[in-house]
Amino acid sequence: MIYLTDGTRDGFLTAFLAAWGDEEAVLLPKNKRPLGPCVEIVPDPKRAQKALCRFRELDGGCMRELDRLLRCGDEGHIQTAFRYLLLIAKRGGPVRGMLSHPDVLKAEQALRRVAHEIDRMKGFVRFSESASGALYAPLSPDNDIVDILARHFQKRLPEYPFVLHDVKRKKAAVWDGEHLFLAPLEKAEVMLSADEDGWQTLWKTYYSAVNIPSRERLRQQRGYLPVRYRKFMTEFQ
Amino acid sequence: MISEEKLKILTESAKYDVSCSSSGSGRTNGGGMGNAAPAGCCHSFTPDGRCISLLKILLSNRCIYSCRYCPNRADADVPRASATPEEIAELTLDFYKRNYIEGLFLSSAVEKTPDFTMERLLAAVRLLRTKYRFHGYIHLKGIPRADAGLVSEAAKYADRMSYNLELPTEASLKLLAPQKSTESLLSPMRQLVKEKAEFKEEHKKGHFLPAGQTTQLIVGASPEPDSRIVRLSEALYHKMGLKRVYYSSYVPVVQDSLLPTLPVGQLREHRLYQADWLLRFYGFTAEEIAPEGENLPLEYDPKCAWALRNPQCFPVEVNTAPLEMLLRVPGIGGRGAYKITEARRYAALDFGDLKRMRIVLKRAKHFITCKGKYLGAKDERAVKGLLALGARQDEARQMSLFDEPERWSLGGADSAGVLVGAAILGGAGSAGGAGEGRMLSPAVWLLGTRETALAALTGEL
Ligand code: SF4
Repeated sequence: MIYLTDGTRDGFLTAFLAAWGDEEAVLLPKNKRPLGPCVEIVPDPKRAQKALCRFRELDGGCMRELDRLLRCGDEGHIQTAFRYLLLIAKRGGPVRGMLSHPDVLKAEQALRRVAHEIDRMKGFVRFSESASGALYAPLSPDNDIVDILARHFQKRLPEYPFVLHDVKRKKAAVWDGEHLFLAPLEKAEVMLSADEDGWQTLWKTYYSAVNIPSRERLRQQRGYLPVRYRKFMTEFQ
Repeated sequence: MISEEKLKILTESAKYDVSCSSSGSGRTNGGGMGNAAPAGCCHSFTPDGRCISLLKILLSNRCIYSCRYCPNRADADVPRASATPEEIAELTLDFYKRNYIEGLFLSSAVEKTPDFTMERLLAAVRLLRTKYRFHGYIHLKGIPRADAGLVSEAAKYADRMSYNLELPTEASLKLLAPQKSTESLLSPMRQLVKEKAEFKEEHKKGHFLPAGQTTQLIVGASPEPDSRIVRLSEALYHKMGLKRVYYSSYVPVVQDSLLPTLPVGQLREHRLYQADWLLRFYGFTAEEIAPEGENLPLEYDPKCAWALRNPQCFPVEVNTAPLEMLLRVPGIGGRGAYKITEARRYAALDFGDLKRMRIVLKRAKHFITCKGKYLGAKDERAVKGLLALGARQDEARQMSLFDEPERWSLGGADSAGVLVGAAILGGAGSAGGAGEGRMLSPAVWLLGTRETALAALTGEL
């Protein structure tokens, strides 16, 4: 049977409870509804909470992993999460060391991709300063990670309000100096500060001055900094 | 705001591997404290494939010294500039705020006198830390022969300091950098080691050079063999507690009768980095890596070369070999060895399993068995042939892999080290505050248990 979930943790755990006895269960996100019979899962927070507690007993770290897996932008990520948690439930404990098991391997790879992108984006995000002094950064990550990034920047720049705008998912993580929250955001109009242009120019100057042209290795550069990330980076504009 | 012209001059004179600026091109790494992430972070990559993590800049390129290999030496005809401490502080803050950089790597040519220069470097970092309350990462180059009081003062504000030894022997240094001496470089290094120890005695909290000290050696400008260099590094790690030694292959930016005219191949530098890795994280000694008087072979990586010299140790059975031995198998790295020790607790592994776990068998297969099965070449000669450089296509790719900026490092640990450290200790947690100089220890310090080691594998730390 095919089970459709809404992508939230509660939705997923409710679906898990419905599907876990079913040998042929496939979990899909709602927007990927295939032709043919499906069960649409309505999240049940109470039952989800119970499942959550049980999973925490079985493996203290697996709910954090679930959170990451649900953020994954890959095709089939919900099924990957399902198979991974199913194995935990079946074996009654952590399975992340079973690296030769296909379900564990898949989960590990998906987790690694999400973690890798978070790591990368911590570096690749580019803020511009608005006239009000707040910082604005548009980005378009593969995985749904703006809120995680926002927590990172909140710790780093506690005194600067900022907006991290995921233009692909049309939402933003906002730090107003006191609260961190998510908000839907289609388009942002930003008035830049008087100095912004000057600093951007200096950054471009720096970027081209540190390069050693005689050692050009563009393939390597592309590997580390894939072209799709460059769209919002000052030094490539 | 600093002028574009000045920024350009001070950046360009900081980018050469042989000058006061450098500490390993692009490999230089943060490992920040304060508000910086524990894992070093690349903010951009230049077309030459290097990582930009820190704002790497000279305070001044006006030099009274004449190191023969350096483009900024006193008698060179190049554009000169000096920035003010205020300009540097402001630039750092505004770059940092926009997330262009992870911190500052500040150095300087010797302008007027060593003390004058050190005072200005100190002024810049003090401004950043006190007036602007900047908590990002700061790496400060020390100026040889500067007043000891200025040096200890600077160490209060910097995360890391470095004095570059540049050349492996006193004789070479005398010849090529006549105003420096080994003692003028080693004595502030020793002073900082001592002060750090004293600071730790007296204070439970607070920082004193939390990311320690590093140094750099230029390879190939002078005649010392690799064995000499590897032994020096070993001593620097053990006795000085250095976090990293960087190697920089000599590139002639300057014509000089005492210097080679041809650049040293990147391959030699690459081999030295591999050897350094073996020293720090794989439990090898300098003696094992490079027999006295010899260079590292270019056709094999140093681990391979060791394995070929010691055929009696192989093949090892992956399902039973201790971790220390797995780490000695050519082609199996820290992560691979760790994965194997984890996975084999659940089921005996065969070659298919290793493949699925993405363990590269190309080289390893000649040195291991899986459930008693061997897939490698028949005899030693065949193995040698298959592993030599010309026979392998993957060396170029490997080299670029190896150049990967150490995004994981915290004052010198790296992901391999972290995992290896945690695994070797079998999850024995807190070597609290350990970590000066002994192999693996920063790794242990980073990680408590097996679980967290795995978290490092699958998630961020
Ligand atoms: S001290 Fe030597 S290496 Fe440093 S800038 Fe001056 S001449 Fe160059």
